Amino acid sequence: MGVAAAKEIGPVQAEEMVLNIGPQHPSTHGVLRLKVKTDGEIVSEVIPYIGYLHRCFEKHAESITYEQVIPFTDRCDYLGSMNNNFGFAVAMEELMDIKVPERVEYIRIIMAELNRIASHLLALGVYGLDVGAFTPFLHMFRDRERILDIFELTCGARLLYNYMWVGGVSHDLPRNFDSICIDFLDYFEPKIPEFNELLTTNKIFIERTADVGVMPAEVAISYGVSGPNLRGSGVKWDVRRDEPYSIYDKFDFEIPVGSGDVGTLGDCWDRYWVRMLEMMESCKIIRQALKTIPEGGDVHQMVPKKIRPPKGSIYRRTESPRGDLGYYIISDGSEIPFRMKMRSPALTALSVLDEISAGWMISDVIAILGSLDIVLGEIDR
Amino acid sequence: MTADQEKLISEAVEKALAGDMDSINAIEDRSLRAKAKAALVKAKRAAKAEQKTETSDDAKSADSSVPQEPGSPLASLLTAFYPGEIVESSNDGNSIQIKPEKWEEIAVFLRDHADALLDQLECLTGVDLGEGEELQVRYNLHSMKHRHKLEVLINADRNSPEIPSVETVWRMADWFERETYDMYGIVFNGHRDLRRLLCPEDWEGWPLRKDYEEQKTYHGIVVPKVKEGWE
Amino acid sequence: MIVDYLIDIIPFAADWPGLVFVSVVIFCAVPVFLFIAVYALVAIYGELKVSSFMQDKIGPMGQGVGLHAGKWGLLQPIADALKLILKEDIIPTTADRKLFILAPFIVFIGAFISMAALPFSQTIIVADMNIGIFYILAVSSLGVIGIILAGWSSNNKWSLYGAMRSAAQIVSYEIPAGLSIIGVVMITGTLSMQGIIEHQSGFVWGILPNWIIFQNPFTFLSFFLFFISGVAECNRTPFDIPEAESELVAGAFTEYSGMRYAFFFLSEYANMFVVSGVAAAAFLGGWRSPIPGVLDTPGWGIMWFIGKSMFLIFMMMWFRWTWPRLRVDQLMSVCWKGFIPIAFFNIFGIGIWKLLIG
Repeated sequence: MGVAAAKEIGPVQAEEMVLNIGPQHPSTHGVLRLKVKTDGEIVSEVIPYIGYLHRCFEKHAESITYEQVIPFTDRCDYLGSMNNNFGFAVAMEELMDIKVPERVEYIRIIMAELNRIASHLLALGVYGLDVGAFTPFLHMFRDRERILDIFELTCGARLLYNYMWVGGVSHDLPRNFDSICIDFLDYFEPKIPEFNELLTTNKIFIERTADVGVMPAEVAISYGVSGPNLRGSGVKWDVRRDEPYSIYDKFDFEIPVGSGDVGTLGDCWDRYWVRMLEMMESCKIIRQALKTIPEGGDVHQMVPKKIRPPKGSIYRRTESPRGDLGYYIISDGSEIPFRMKMRSPALTALSVLDEISAGWMISDVIAILGSLDIVLGEIDR
Repeated sequence: MTADQEKLISEAVEKALAGDMDSINAIEDRSLRAKAKAALVKAKRAAKAEQKTETSDDAKSADSSVPQEPGSPLASLLTAFYPGEIVESSNDGNSIQIKPEKWEEIAVFLRDHADALLDQLECLTGVDLGEGEELQVRYNLHSMKHRHKLEVLINADRNSPEIPSVETVWRMADWFERETYDMYGIVFNGHRDLRRLLCPEDWEGWPLRKDYEEQKTYHGIVVPKVKEGWE
Repeated sequence: MIVDYLIDIIPFAADWPGLVFVSVVIFCAVPVFLFIAVYALVAIYGELKVSSFMQDKIGPMGQGVGLHAGKWGLLQPIADALKLILKEDIIPTTADRKLFILAPFIVFIGAFISMAALPFSQTIIVADMNIGIFYILAVSSLGVIGIILAGWSSNNKWSLYGAMRSAAQIVSYEIPAGLSIIGVVMITGTLSMQGIIEHQSGFVWGILPNWIIFQNPFTFLSFFLFFISGVAECNRTPFDIPEAESELVAGAFTEYSGMRYAFFFLSEYANMFVVSGVAAAAFLGGWRSPIPGVLDTPGWGIMWFIGKSMFLIFMMMWFRWTWPRLRVDQLMSVCWKGFIPIAFFNIFGIGIWKLLIG
């Protein structure tokens, strides 16, 4: 009878199932749609669909002045706004050949590094959330909040700063900034071992992330993956050190790379761990900068009355929390950019997803996606 | 890794390449499984590259002792191997404009030649040189080993813009070419999956062209033309 | 036991079986339901506060009455419950309507009828069956049918994933849970819940209470096996893969809203109490005082039993707010490659211990 029934039903249907992760899903870090082909729990293909947050940054930039572009850069990578401002300012100054006062350089680096810590805190916290640990997320948000307080004190904004202008910064540092910042660092540095105890060295966390989503170095380079994701694959590459901009060459800091300590080199855990180490390096840079920052001077001294760069083009990349953030600016000599291209590090990170997540399980796709630390605002621009 | 394990991995990878993913997933040991997957990724990539890069072999084996002018070693390298391809070169030689026809071959050459090794595509930018002018694509290349850079410019005709795709040479170009296609309508010949990236599939026109006109309606929604009223 | 009383008390009980049924509903089912409701409110409040302390936040707070969450946020769980009751009840058009409506109740019934055999004190137990512990193990698995129904009837891929994971998980973890209970049954020689607790009187090793967990090293291990398997059966973190909000949105419960969702929620908490209650009764002396002979009256018994259960529930909350979630294959390998062999080994060990040492 069993055989007869089986014949009636026909062969078992074992075709692949298409699963849509997103655009509304808790773990897509924004509005992202992943079309996932699955065989049971095993994923055979991941096709990302992006563009849900497309706000035409590049088109807009062609009809507004250079000053007006800066607030737009904030809104691209809204978690690393300072660094976005920074990249644009650096590129513009190089194009216009402006030498900014030294104090401004120091202020910028302090802000950029604080922002890097804030961004990494969010990335790591949310990564904990992706693998199911809720508590580290709130602990990291608690500390991120203190950085946002510092930003609020400095420029009045907590998320979108419009702080770094071409040739300067919008406000000088507030009084007592030194002690406030040092207080924060003194408070924050001991928290990192706490995070490590809570999440990094947790057995389940290691089980979930080690050996998962291995990205070999040559794949990473070919896909243009950059920043912590590239360093997680063991490539010692950091724009701050290798193509120094601003005054990064004055500071002494390490470039952490993935080690494959608990799994394979280039796995999710390595990418996570690189970010954790980078926060410590950022603390180091801020401490050095606070020690040697020159006093006095007008931070608006070199801000041009009208930004009218000479005819020409420039491509300049800087190290944002997510990797190589490049601006391609073509000027036709007017006040309005002829062409403005933003090379988004998160875009390249997302494009590698299919390559490294095929063959893993649905839960792993979420873990891999989280480890790439994408910001959809920047991907879609 | 012992010889046994290596054998296991290579067998599993072979099977997986033939389409049987279970053989890898059946590997007991976690780290071995991950290694096998990494090997699979590598193998897939190598296979992809092989389809397109026969030409690169002679470039690799070729004698690399090219007379180099100071300041523009990469430009002179290109002149030596691909004479006549360079249309224009900037003064420092870091930015060269080439003809589109052999671009894919040149790209492989630039990536693989021992003196170039431009293994990282930093940025791929589409540019509209102005209404009635040509379209342009700019490639910013960078070598992780030599730490040198090169910018390659390729012009395309405005009415039927076509440029060979380098998507298989630098995988990053995949999405960046799609974006450039999306914004400028430049067709990258040989791209395996040339769809719009950011705009919806059924969007009309190429938004970043200087002569772009918004479509009147999109799915019945009127696209506002007068921008003064925008809040 | 209460059922026995009722039969004794009611005259003509034998002639009027319907009367017995009605009185059982009034005197047993309604109080148990009320208990679950009140306990769930307390547990939700506890969960909020426990998580808040672990996450360095204050959790629900408010001053005085009014539209705040009450003093220390005490009204928060009531507000939550009200919100869930008042929410719109949505049934997807493509859902299998009948099964969709039925599923939450089946899940709840599984948790609800398990409570019948939980010994709250020497006298307070709905029915002290001679197969009490076996009964609980059997009916508590009913819930998985409800979850599968929920996942299937929702006609949603996420729900289906959640349901399949849940089925695999609960069925697997039943085995180590059952096997570790076998050890208890071997020692006590009875399946009755009260019988098991009766057995745990006096002292062991001189100073420790004679609870089964302390009686020998194998039972000590058994307790942890049972408790962890229980956590898995409740679908709590780190075993919450059927719900896995960051992966499966809400797993089998994705399409549920309002009252129906509240029932799933209630069952989860009820299940936690059942698992903790069984662990407390079978391993931790149930209603017995931690210091034998002191405060061992029936009145205190309720407190001891609920206190022990609540401690175990606190442990579950602690797990939840500390650990990440396992992956589905890791979860299975922990069960089949870890727990089940150890559980078998434990049965063997307990047998040997009982033969040689007594």
